Amino acid sequence: MLSYLLAIVIITLIYLLLSFGLSLQYGSVGLINFGHVGFFAIGAYTSALLALSGVPLLASFCAAAIAAGLAAWPIGLISLRLRDDYFAIVTLGFSETVRIIIVSEKWLTNGVQGVPGIPRLFSSLPVGFEAQLATAALLLLVCAAAAFTIWRIINSPFGRVIQAIRDNEDALKALGKDPARFKIQVLMLSAALAGIAGAFYAHYITFIIPEQFVPLVTFYVWMAIIIGGVGRISGAIVGTVLLMTFLEGSRFMRDFIPGVSEVEMASLRIGVIGLLLVLFTLYRPQGLMGDYTKR
Amino acid sequence: MNRTRREFLAGTAGAMALPLLSGSVFAQSEGTLRIGALNPVTGAGGPYGEGMQKMILAAAEAVNAAGGAAGQKIEIFAEDTQTDPQAAVLAAKKLIEVNEVRALLGTWSSGISLAVVPLTNDAGIMLMNTSGAPALSVPPANEKGLSYRFQATNDRFGRAFAEIAEKEGFKRPATMAFNNASGIGNTEGFKKAWEAKGGEIVSSVVYEPKQTSYRSELMQILAAQPDVIVMGSYVGDTTIILREWYQTGQPAKWIIPGWAANSDLVAALGPDVVEGIISVDSVSNEEAEAYAEYDKAYQAAMGKPGSDNVYAAMTWDMMTVLALAVEAAGTTDMAKVNEKMHEVANPDGTKVSSFAEGKNALKTGSINYEGASSVPDFDEHGDVTPDFAASFVEDGKINRRYIVKI
Repeated sequence: MLSYLLAIVIITLIYLLLSFGLSLQYGSVGLINFGHVGFFAIGAYTSALLALSGVPLLASFCAAAIAAGLAAWPIGLISLRLRDDYFAIVTLGFSETVRIIIVSEKWLTNGVQGVPGIPRLFSSLPVGFEAQLATAALLLLVCAAAAFTIWRIINSPFGRVIQAIRDNEDALKALGKDPARFKIQVLMLSAALAGIAGAFYAHYITFIIPEQFVPLVTFYVWMAIIIGGVGRISGAIVGTVLLMTFLEGSRFMRDFIPGVSEVEMASLRIGVIGLLLVLFTLYRPQGLMGDYTKR
Repeated sequence: MNRTRREFLAGTAGAMALPLLSGSVFAQSEGTLRIGALNPVTGAGGPYGEGMQKMILAAAEAVNAAGGAAGQKIEIFAEDTQTDPQAAVLAAKKLIEVNEVRALLGTWSSGISLAVVPLTNDAGIMLMNTSGAPALSVPPANEKGLSYRFQATNDRFGRAFAEIAEKEGFKRPATMAFNNASGIGNTEGFKKAWEAKGGEIVSSVVYEPKQTSYRSELMQILAAQPDVIVMGSYVGDTTIILREWYQTGQPAKWIIPGWAANSDLVAALGPDVVEGIISVDSVSNEEAEAYAEYDKAYQAAMGKPGSDNVYAAMTWDMMTVLALAVEAAGTTDMAKVNEKMHEVANPDGTKVSSFAEGKNALKTGSINYEGASSVPDFDEHGDVTPDFAASFVEDGKINRRYIVKI
């Protein structure tokens, strides 16, 4: 039981790292990124492949963050010319491109067969509860560090500049600031977070396959931050925890609601999330934890 | 805002309490053998998952009706893998940790089985899958010999394709594969077997899923003038490819796996297009008594003939073989049960076709279960080698011509 709860905690924390990045991008700079899963995938494959070739896990995790961060750099350059919906289309294309490259480059990634047998974190501890607890603790630490960093960024001069980019890019340019540099920095930072999340994911599930890195992952993260409240750390946390509790909790609901088959439950799950999203955008566009002082 | 927070807290607290509640519910059912049904109810495996799950339930009912295995009734806990490795891993964790099941039955695609198998190995319980990937046979996936496969490996499918191509006298085969482990496994298996026979493949292409047209891939294949095109594909893409091929008017024969060349395909394209296609599938053991029982149960549960879902027949066999192994071991200690798996399914012993029959026969000697999906005889990797059937589409009907043994 505890071990299962820990598994949910770990997956939630991994998604939380993704939410932080996306929330920072959209909430602060106003970039609509539909390709977040691409950085997640890059992180997962980088760390998994390095670890399998004997690199220590600490180094492979750093490499995952760096690789994902660097991959965001060209995307950042594109973002200079594209705004809003157009940027969203490009990023969606980016994440699919990443996936197709992983599928095609069999010599490196083993293609659609996936990479099995990725070493676990804390493999010296007994498998099961202890190793999971250590993983969850480490993840919690990383999430806290990420949250603290983002909080510092938002409340620094740098943070005020990026919020100004979101609100009025032209005015900012007139003040002599260069929005491009800031956008790229924010993108690379949140991509690096996604890369770390990917590394945790790969070493936790121990098996990765391109099918795991479909756009649905990005949209789960979007759902989480829309429900929780965009641009706020608390919003990302609340949204992610709620979404994951709901997705996993619905397994137990079926044990209590008689007459709902597994097929119907699956449809019900997606339906409820969809309804929630519609209701939130209609009545609580700021999300649960949103900034109610504005609008 | 206060109210919202309060409501939210109450909701979270409620959600947190759910697992606790469920614990007390499950506690009432002590003294049963808990088995997990982990099937692809939604996602790509959706067309099969529901039937697979229902047949595990039906087979468990049959076991319970015969007094249970080793004196224990079987209780099934079912979860959906959503045909997604992450959802499958969490579902498997839930079944293992919360429901404390002693075996997981019926994972479908190879990606799912490969993701779940480390968990079952850690827990020391069995995983029975219907996946094709060769990696599942060997360590690390099957390092403890706890993984059993009731489906032919993709490699074996490929070998069957090659046998049929040779028998039909084809000389210039080409291959087209859906880009996933199963699709490529089929055509690679064919290539290996065909080249071992001294043949040559004139052209091959791997295509991406979910396209609206496969014309360019098809043209590339047809340019090599093949006399037969061997597919590793699914229904959706096969439908598009065959339609576009028919429009070109170039003659060619097709060898297509049974899960793609089925009645849905014929219905979608009409009899003219699909005339003469060779559909290859592992044969459910249709002459067997076990199959008749399975068919009856499938009709009752799904309202369709049992031949509709070859995987459901496999899950029926999984439950039955497992229950027989438990009965033979006389205990629900899974390490001991695992030792009996080969014994109750492999030759030497009275042939039995149901749990009730097997339970009786076990009192006097060893048994050999002859199942609904195949005569499940496990090799040293826990894999079965079913027979294959070559069926031809004639006037909109899929007629079986002959059986291929590999």
